[in-house]
Amino acid sequence: MQDMNPTSLFVDLTGRLGLNYEFLLTGYEAQIWRDGFLTTLYLVAITIPVSLFFGVIFAACLTSGRSWLSTPVRAFVELTRNTPTLVQLMFSFLVLNTVVSNLVGGGVNNPLSPFFWVVAVVGLHVAALHAEAIRGGIEAVPASMIEAARGMGFSQFEILRFVQIPLALRSSLPAIVNGLISLVKSTTVGNAIAVSEITYASIMVWTQRDNVVELMIVLLAFFSLINFLIARLGTWVERKLAVPGYGL
Amino acid sequence: MSAITSQPTSSSGGILRYIGFVAMPLLVVIWSLIDPTLGAELVKWVPYLASGFWMNIVITFSAVTLGTIAGVLLGLMQLAPLWLIRWPAAIYVQIFRNAPALVLIFATTYIFPFEIVAFGQYLPFPDWIKAVIGLGILASAYIAEITRGAVLSIPTTQWEATKGLGFSRLQALRFVILPQCIRRSLPPWMNVASSIAMGTSLASLVGVHELMHAATDASTAVRRLDFTVIAYVVVMAAFFTLCYPLSRLTRRLEQRFNAG
Repeated sequence: MQDMNPTSLFVDLTGRLGLNYEFLLTGYEAQIWRDGFLTTLYLVAITIPVSLFFGVIFAACLTSGRSWLSTPVRAFVELTRNTPTLVQLMFSFLVLNTVVSNLVGGGVNNPLSPFFWVVAVVGLHVAALHAEAIRGGIEAVPASMIEAARGMGFSQFEILRFVQIPLALRSSLPAIVNGLISLVKSTTVGNAIAVSEITYASIMVWTQRDNVVELMIVLLAFFSLINFLIARLGTWVERKLAVPGYGL
Repeated sequence: MSAITSQPTSSSGGILRYIGFVAMPLLVVIWSLIDPTLGAELVKWVPYLASGFWMNIVITFSAVTLGTIAGVLLGLMQLAPLWLIRWPAAIYVQIFRNAPALVLIFATTYIFPFEIVAFGQYLPFPDWIKAVIGLGILASAYIAEITRGAVLSIPTTQWEATKGLGFSRLQALRFVILPQCIRRSLPPWMNVASSIAMGTSLASLVGVHELMHAATDASTAVRRLDFTVIAYVVVMAAFFTLCYPLSRLTRRLEQRFNAG
């Protein structure tokens, strides 16, 4: 009790409530747990731009009107939306990763880490969700507006780039935010292939300490907080980007 | 203009929509015919994989039933005039709607005991029931929001009209409001059911014997790369054939309700 730093104070106070957070005072387990939080945040921060980038590209392909572009993307979107993310991840990690390893001559040379596969699988899965939302937005752009743009000499790509996508992104923003929230939740599947995100780190701690309830409270609070922040960010962007008089 | 540009997309999508129902199983069958040794190996493992998939269906069905009952109650509680009823439901929904399915499955698996003592008897508490509870909690939080949204989407004038006709609040809910809500909330409810069906694969991570677990067992037993590939293709095919018709139906219902 001589040094009352915040950590030991917290452990002491929660201990009186009957909650066991004693592992925070040890070096090793507390370190694993802190790294788990950072890995999850890192994973989320990388996967969000990946999903948005591919979401826009998929939506552009779906609405391009060229069947050699839209058919493969449509097939991919339907496949990824209707199969579990975990199965896609295991398939990618066990099959595609092995194929890559064989190509480069042994797993030692394989540059692709489990982390990469989580980003790729979750990113593309959520990109498929975004694509459907943005496609709806692109199709909702009034035909008269596209005709006006064509009349002003815009090419097909310029219409997409300067007219359809800016408006589609605004109208599909609520659906995109929902997609991002499911992205945050989906990053937990990384624990199946030993990416040390927060769920994996928590399992490491509670198998030693038997304090599942305590860690679960923190986990639920952590995910609620991230999703709350993303939802707030979404409404902020929505207000920031609103086009006056367009009703968006 | 938009009608013309969307024409080719919808026609190519039209063919694809029908292929979608059979494409994945067909791929598995054709591949096993091309390579008969692989096909023979797969046929040997099919009963084992099927027993796994049966577990997925049982978990899905139980979790969705549990989630629907709890979710409708929680959704109505969120609309109660008394804050003592409204607040606990709102907090429950906020916490569990944001929770990853995997975290909830881990929570229920590790928190509940592996057997229950009732009347001096030791009853086993199997892992799959814990997974049902975990997914049921998630489903109930989603369905509570759907119920709340559906009730709020009914114009207030209808409540006033029922009051004028002498209905009590509960009678109005039972005879006027809820029948309309069922129609409106059917498509999002089916989305939840489909995402719970896909979530059942997460139960493999806590050792429930379901399809994903069965496929991993099979591929470690056979130790052939092409068998591993086809085993996971079978897993994808099974989930796809379960969820794809559901999502098609959802989209059709959505379009019909939007039009009508």
